[in-house]
Amino acid sequence: MNNTLSLFQLCDSTFPNGSFSQSFGLETYIQKDLVYDAESFLKWLKAYVNEQLAYADGLGVKLIYEALEEGDLEKVWEIDHLLKIQNLARESREGTQRMGESMLNIAEAIYGFEHLTSYRERIGEKKSFGHPAVVFTIAGYELQVDKETTILYYLYSTMIGLVQNAVRAIPLGQTTGQKIVYQFQKDLQRARDKIMNLDEADFGVVSPGLELGQMQHERVKIRIFSS
Amino acid sequence: MSEWTGVLKLDMENRQGRSVAKNVYFQGAFKVMRPIYHQKNTYPCYYMLNPGGGYLDGDKYQMNVRLEEKAKLTLTTQSSTKIYKTPHQQAYQESTFHLKRDSYLEYLPDALIAYKDARYFQKNNIYMEKGATLIYSDILTPGWSPEGEHFSYDMIRLKTKIYMEEELILYDHIKLQPDLQDMTGLGHMEGYTHLGSLIVIGEKTNDDLLDLLYEVIQKEDGDFEFGLSKLTVKGFTVRVLANYTQVIERIINACHRVISDKWYQKKPSYLRKY
Repeated sequence: MNNTLSLFQLCDSTFPNGSFSQSFGLETYIQKDLVYDAESFLKWLKAYVNEQLAYADGLGVKLIYEALEEGDLEKVWEIDHLLKIQNLARESREGTQRMGESMLNIAEAIYGFEHLTSYRERIGEKKSFGHPAVVFTIAGYELQVDKETTILYYLYSTMIGLVQNAVRAIPLGQTTGQKIVYQFQKDLQRARDKIMNLDEADFGVVSPGLELGQMQHERVKIRIFSS
Repeated sequence: MSEWTGVLKLDMENRQGRSVAKNVYFQGAFKVMRPIYHQKNTYPCYYMLNPGGGYLDGDKYQMNVRLEEKAKLTLTTQSSTKIYKTPHQQAYQESTFHLKRDSYLEYLPDALIAYKDARYFQKNNIYMEKGATLIYSDILTPGWSPEGEHFSYDMIRLKTKIYMEEELILYDHIKLQPDLQDMTGLGHMEGYTHLGSLIVIGEKTNDDLLDLLYEVIQKEDGDFEFGLSKLTVKGFTVRVLANYTQVIERIINACHRVISDKWYQKKPSYLRKY
């Protein structure tokens, strides 16, 4: 088996993690006509990846990976808890949790890693939240994919989901969507480099506008996404 | 500790249904005025003030507020908190609140104004026990700059952690850095300059209250955007983006009125400033 390919399976657009129903506030911007084409979507995506995802999920992946290297599982569960409570927008928080559980169930079934089983049991006992970043990082670590790559692939998997949703909701052409994916590679690499330079004190920084859009989504009139 | 520019300690207790200070201590550039019992309230309002007029390079402030069981307190400032340029070291404030069982704290300071080249970091740690209620607000605003830029400060950073029975239940981290972020761009301040937050933790929080708050805020005049959302515990946050402090203050006051009415069937005191 190729380990990198095994981890990449979790990033594949056909992987059923439920990302197709989460826009993380993008839909609010679409409804307000602030995101309406490829260019305006890219602006939102850049802000989302650099000003929210990097400090929460992205830094979370780094911290979890480092905790796993040290054999400090308590730290992993602590980051899971932080990822939950730093998300003040209810729908985004709950959507993330649903994605985390879907990813966990399949990941546990295909890889059979012990830490994934522990994580599932903790979630069952309501001791843990269930976040895709935790599942993804355990998988990356156990598959011996290095930390930088695990971070980059995690960002990629999130980006793929959002681009697909943008293609459907704005809408954009499929080719336009793929061009965005291609073009966004360097942004993802920059975001990974930024994450590598962050430490725990930087955790959870959120850009006010993005968060506001996620909170406002609760009361958006027409909605095809649940966040 | 002499390394602090200003220290404030305030311990409140409930004496036969009336909240009184058990201990008030301040030192350096942090002061509280004599408490005022508004409208024959059973609990006081303390006004904090900064005799130095503002926070300067490397200033460090420490605030420690403790509410014993069933004690109640309104804490506010006498005027806005001004952060001036900090060429060498950021200004820093560390605030710790302990809210024992069934205590009640309203912490509603005036706006924070960050002037040109100012860097400011504030850490809030709030430790609550079951039955305690918290109403917390902050308003972050850019100060006037000679060049007329909207965002001439270097950094405003607020890290707020709230614990309930020793479990971390809220983690909020705002870090505005105009030189590094595209403040006027999509996803940042959405074309606004001022950011207001209201954090409420209280066991009586329910969906009806949130619906009502949503309606009330929507009816407010002025140019602003807002969002509100429930936390994982009984509580919620409201965020407001606007261009004027007064607009955010009005919205926070409106929310405060609704909460006081629904939870305590009373009107909040008008926090007169002198």
